[in-house]
Amino acid sequence: MTIEEHREFPVDSASLKEIRNFAREVLAKDELFSSTKDDVVLAIAEAAQNIVKHAYSGQPTGDTMRVEITFKDNELKIDLYDKGKPVIPENIKPRQIDDVKPGGLGTFFIGQIMDEVIFKTSATDWVNHLILTKNY
Amino acid sequence: MSYKISEEGNVATVHLDGEIDMDVTEKAKEVIMPLIEAGKEVHLNLKEVQYMDSSGISVLIESHQKAAELGTKVILKEISKSVLKVIMMAKLEQILIIE
Repeated sequence: MTIEEHREFPVDSASLKEIRNFAREVLAKDELFSSTKDDVVLAIAEAAQNIVKHAYSGQPTGDTMRVEITFKDNELKIDLYDKGKPVIPENIKPRQIDDVKPGGLGTFFIGQIMDEVIFKTSATDWVNHLILTKNY
Repeated sequence: MSYKISEEGNVATVHLDGEIDMDVTEKAKEVIMPLIEAGKEVHLNLKEVQYMDSSGISVLIESHQKAAELGTKVILKEISKSVLKVIMMAKLEQILIIE
């Protein structure tokens, strides 16, 4: 089965629930995702949260972010695009495993759930482009 | 997210319900923190929480740390399967108090 779905959402914490529902809806299309669906939804939501929190510093904006979910050749690929502050990949550090403090967990979760995480800053019409992949 | 608080003696039980993400963490803190600051032992019942992300986990960590600082505690009760999975992914099952 091949999946190619995309949607744009306002950059706002209130969009996170809609993003989760979009991801759940898309991942429900194939039984293959049944055991990992909740984890992948969490990874997508954490990435979207990072856009709201870090690329836009939690400030209200009229911008949108784009979420694309593609499944082809047993690879699930999630592309997230935004027009916020350019991400400096070297500055993104997940929480250390024994460092018990609030914050940094989202990136840690994404790394635990997905097989590969790539940041790009040259997306056409966008500023940041995050690519998450998971193989099935 | 919705919530219900009941108090008996020095124990305040907070039943949280729904999905806990960045959009509702301030509300969750507004509910939990005053109880901790009042010196209550807080029982957080998470049976009806179907989803929790890193922001929700941060509220649990902050609550736990604030309670320890003030000489009381936050106990997590009846944690739903999905929330427990996230707590374990964060390797916090040995840090937070779970009953």
